Amino acid sequence: MPKGVGWLHTLGSATLFLLALQVVTGVALSLYYVPTPDHAYESLKYITQTVPFGAFLRGLHRWGASLIVVVAVLHMVRVFFMGAYKYPRELTWAIGILLLGVILGLGFTGYLLPWDNRAYWATVVGTSIVESWPVIGGFAARILRVGTDVGIRTLIRFYNLHTFVLPAFLGWLTLAHLYLVLQQGIAAPPAAEGRRVSRSTVRAPDFREAYRQEVEEKQRTGIPFYEALWKDGVVALVLFTLLVVMALLLEIPTEKVADPSDVNYLPRPEWYFLFLYELLWYFKGPWMVVGTFVIPAALFLALLLVPWLDRRPERHPLGRPLASSVAAAGIFAAVYLTYLGATAPLPPSPTTAALPPGGPKVAVAATPEAGKRLYEAQGCSACHAIRGQGGAAGPDLSRVGRTRDAAWLARFTRDPEAVKPGSPMPPYKDLSEAELQAIAAYLAVLR
Amino acid sequence: MKGVAEKGGTSRRQFFNRILTGIGGLIGVGAGAPLAGFGILPALKEEALDWARLGPAEMFVTSEPKLVPFTHVVPKPWPEEPVKHAVYVLKKGEADFVIYDIRCTHVGCPINWNAQAKRFFSPCHGGVFDIEGRVQAGPPPRALDRYEVKIENGILYAGRLYRVDENLRRVA
Repeated sequence: MPKGVGWLHTLGSATLFLLALQVVTGVALSLYYVPTPDHAYESLKYITQTVPFGAFLRGLHRWGASLIVVVAVLHMVRVFFMGAYKYPRELTWAIGILLLGVILGLGFTGYLLPWDNRAYWATVVGTSIVESWPVIGGFAARILRVGTDVGIRTLIRFYNLHTFVLPAFLGWLTLAHLYLVLQQGIAAPPAAEGRRVSRSTVRAPDFREAYRQEVEEKQRTGIPFYEALWKDGVVALVLFTLLVVMALLLEIPTEKVADPSDVNYLPRPEWYFLFLYELLWYFKGPWMVVGTFVIPAALFLALLLVPWLDRRPERHPLGRPLASSVAAAGIFAAVYLTYLGATAPLPPSPTTAALPPGGPKVAVAATPEAGKRLYEAQGCSACHAIRGQGGAAGPDLSRVGRTRDAAWLARFTRDPEAVKPGSPMPPYKDLSEAELQAIAAYLAVLR
Repeated sequence: MKGVAEKGGTSRRQFFNRILTGIGGLIGVGAGAPLAGFGILPALKEEALDWARLGPAEMFVTSEPKLVPFTHVVPKPWPEEPVKHAVYVLKKGEADFVIYDIRCTHVGCPINWNAQAKRFFSPCHGGVFDIEGRVQAGPPPRALDRYEVKIENGILYAGRLYRVDENLRRVA
């Protein structure tokens, strides 16, 4: 092995270790889990509450799934910045990206299996996103759900994908990935040789031949593999300990059993899909497909083709500023969107109507107190946040009184388009003038 | 000598290769086509509530959309299982009903009718629909999906799911 192979090089073996652990815990869970809507939820309850070690093994599987995504992505980032995807390891990289896709697929299909509200609605949302894809979307969504609704056959299909089909892909792709790694050896980290592969190698008429010679030289002067392997063992132990602690201490959030009639439920994706979910805010109407398909597909394709998009021999991240900055910008964007999604104020759980429908209109005084009641009743907080309470679709109104007076606010609320062309806010023309004045009075005192 | 081209330019080796490829192809199609059909075709058959019973038409008295949760046993050749469901029913006239799907047309989050705001709100990305199901705000690409309506012996039923265009006319 070349010198300079260090702790960062253990991320690949760490992913392998976590995958093996998922397989073992997954097979164990399948001993008691029943993949039908009338038994799935109860069988998981049985696993966690009655079967010895059940809660522990489920915890390992549940948190292991999240940890794999973290470790696999870190592994990918390490390989990218060390330029290890370059000749002759292009194919190893591409298979790695496919593996990442399979891991995310396992996450998505596994998410439905608990058959609670979170599982059900996340799958409704996930398959609706597939449905919006051009040309094949409707077809693909139907095949995933087996029809138009998420139901009994969806659950069985996802269980089948999660336990047979995707693990088969996972196994074969992992074998191919490992075979290539063992055959080609570990890429020497660019840091060990200064900024560049070496000036003469980069400039050589046939850099591939020159690279081969350089690698051979490094193999001779390097360290035996067992000198590096102990680090992989240590990392595996640390990760296992972390998972054990998580499985013992963290509670898996339990929700009530899947309820397709629950209109008060707020679907949330698993954290590693949150940046894509957050992206959907920005594309309206017919542009929706940009967020649901174009960007995710372009991202996946770009990742897959990285070794062929960047074919220059330069390996050190500082020696290829364009590739490094594009990657850094992408990572920043994903982290930032995840942060936005994780911290966005949530819309309040809707209050079921208080007033009798069609009842007499009560005279409203234009006071901030009356306005506050109307603000809450009219569902304004579905889109607007005030002091952290409310949705994120519209602007935060915590300090709107500083910049707008009551008259402007009343006019705007009545017909936003007339005041500010292109405003996405719906008009509230059905409110009486007194009601508008009251809401405006309330908003105007927010400073 | 093996591998040397005989007359016609085909060696024994190529000949056997072709036979093997042919056999492999036959088995592949023979097993693959039924496998694909088995997995895919049932998913493509028209699915819907298939005239799910919502209740007596006379129980809808207001001009407000009313949430109707119900349990439905889909009548199809499949182990019968009651499925929980819900729709919004809007009574517009004596025998004039509209049945909305509760899933937002953006990414399927459950919409909520706010009786005072007289609007449907989606909790996910700020989608807002008016009482007719038209998009009023947010990213949803089309008006609320609807179910076919049938009244039989005073009982309201929901049928197939369909989409509407911006004029609320049925498209598919």
